[in-house]
Amino acid sequence: MIVAELKEIDEIRKMVDRYSSILVVGCDSCVAECAVGGARETQLLASALKLSYLKDRDEKVITEACLDRQCVDDFIDGIAEQVPEHDVILSLGCGAGVQALARVYTDKPIIPALNTLFIGETVMRGVWTENCLGCGQCKLGYFGAVCPVARCSKKLMNGPCGGSRGGRCEIDPETPCGWDLIIKRLEAIGELDRLSEYVPPVNWSTSHSGGPRRVIREDQKP
Amino acid sequence: MHRQNNKIVVFHCRNLRLFQDGERKEFSMAWPGLSLVSIPCSGKIEAHFLLKTLASGAQGVLVLACAEQACQYLEGSMRSRKRVEYARHWLEKLGIAPDRIEFVRLWPVSQQALEAHLEEFVLKLESLGALGTPEKV
Repeated sequence: MIVAELKEIDEIRKMVDRYSSILVVGCDSCVAECAVGGARETQLLASALKLSYLKDRDEKVITEACLDRQCVDDFIDGIAEQVPEHDVILSLGCGAGVQALARVYTDKPIIPALNTLFIGETVMRGVWTENCLGCGQCKLGYFGAVCPVARCSKKLMNGPCGGSRGGRCEIDPETPCGWDLIIKRLEAIGELDRLSEYVPPVNWSTSHSGGPRRVIREDQKP
Repeated sequence: MHRQNNKIVVFHCRNLRLFQDGERKEFSMAWPGLSLVSIPCSGKIEAHFLLKTLASGAQGVLVLACAEQACQYLEGSMRSRKRVEYARHWLEKLGIAPDRIEFVRLWPVSQQALEAHLEEFVLKLESLGALGTPEKV
């Protein structure tokens, strides 16, 4: 899922102060799972903005709505009736959601309330970690489903650097060593032999370094 | 006793058994502006409820929870404390006195203790002034 964090309220205010009616729109998918942009957080931010403007005696209309997914047109249509009544949409979606809203509601300013961070997983309640860089050439099969691109600080593809201590990365001791995880995992499933195969360096042209990416599937087109 | 018409919302755990038959209405009438909201467990409280309550016109919100070891759902009382802290942190960020939201642990059937807390809370809210006017954070 996409992991994000809420921007500081001052930054949000700075962007929306100029409008008199604000539609706060959440997204009940990834950003709900990371407790930053779902229905609850939408209500929280809308209420916080109301209180903030109340304190400044600035009367604004603040309405909240939450879509199941902000990155799919069928769901985006869910706020079609509310959009014309507001000056701006404050999106609690990830970067993709914000841009999807902008594509659909062409005459409306869309302001992001989140900083989109990474593709990751919920390790436990309140803890999310990055584990996929979207490099475009998944080699998890070689590495016991632990990604050296995302989870090794040095992105090493053919063994550890030798700098880790006690299973922790030398760059940041808070981070588990990706290669320690890979070796333990391959040991556990009896597939350490996978590591005898040379894995060439990542071809970054399939990652974002190669420019904006797109997937086209004729079988899925209308 | 302070019985001013200060809009206060009290979320209280049902298991505190604060009111016997009819007492609830009597208690509310003695405290103009007070809204009592019974919830299955204080752990049901979330930060957005608290901010929304203030944004909807309440001057203060009290969350009444059971003692941590007495929570029937084990973690509810601990969770509600964290969530109240989070909501208070939000108020601080907004430049609003965090004391407008308070968390209180009570023993069951302690209506007198509730009254004492309310007295204190009303005084505090009066010193802060109405929400929306400059206040000391």
